[in-house]
Amino acid sequence: MSIEETIRKTVLKIVRKEEFDFTPATTFKDLGADSLDIVQILVALEDKFDIEIPDDDLKGLANMGDMIAYVERKVAEKG
Amino acid sequence: MLFKGKVALITGGSRGIGRAITLRLASEGADVIINYFRKRDTAELTAQEARQKSVKAHIIKADVGDEEKINRMFSEIERTFGRLDILVNNAASGVARSALDLDTRGWDWTMNINARAFLLCAQKAVPLMKDGGKMVSITSLGSRFVLPSYAAIGVSKAALETVTRYLAVELAPKGICVNAVAASAVETEAINVLSGGQGLPPAWCRTPVGRMVEPEDIANAVIFLCSEEAFMIRGQVITVDGGASLVQTAPDKPC
Repeated sequence: MSIEETIRKTVLKIVRKEEFDFTPATTFKDLGADSLDIVQILVALEDKFDIEIPDDDLKGLANMGDMIAYVERKVAEKG
Repeated sequence: MLFKGKVALITGGSRGIGRAITLRLASEGADVIINYFRKRDTAELTAQEARQKSVKAHIIKADVGDEEKINRMFSEIERTFGRLDILVNNAASGVARSALDLDTRGWDWTMNINARAFLLCAQKAVPLMKDGGKMVSITSLGSRFVLPSYAAIGVSKAALETVTRYLAVELAPKGICVNAVAASAVETEAINVLSGGQGLPPAWCRTPVGRMVEPEDIANAVIFLCSEEAFMIRGQVITVDGGASLVQTAPDKPC
């Protein structure tokens, strides 16, 4: 499964909207994600990809496209 | 050195109250295992501070609201140290909402991290406490008093205190002392998160002593409960609040 697909499935499961039309432009707000959802998404992505996502980095991620690019970069950096 | 040669696990041990407890235990000679949730850098900084006190410091990432992560954490502790003498159940989280606004996700999240984690950690810790041990949970006055947006956390802390009492009785024959420390508002970054950046009502910030409770005040009580001087104290909740809970004041504007 690609990084994008893993993120899509993980995010939609946590926000309980598995049928949502998820695109790179989708934001946490579009998904109706509250602060608990966001923490759970970050924890799940950190676990799945064995990376760390500092809260400060989150501020620069405007939508899911940014999130996917960020995770891909982190995974690549890890080697 | 009260705890030379002992091994202590402090959940949520990298910052705030947990950090103060970690460093005090290290000052007393204990090797410390610092459990953290997400901020590795902060955990590593606390570990470095602990190592300056000539003890071993080991960091373990684990969401204590997740049973599998707790199991993995204890497997690592067993592999690395082979024993455990002190368990400080300090990690806490919670959804800051009124009772009527709580949903099951927020309830479960809060209860799992604040109350269930102590039960699960204790179950895993007992086989590692081969020569007996000490367990201390960190609770808050919110278990007894109603605070704004504190419904889930208050209930979870009440449950935590009851877990503490049951464990105290069940583990007494195994040479394990179990107690809790209840804090009033403590000057940490968690206060800002809980209050949505508004600060707490003045009634919870002012104490008869004249200052807020500091993390080191909580750490001092934990150190005492982990010492042999506290041997006959079992299943108790020791309040560290500078007398705040003794005076009745109505909350007003944030301080």
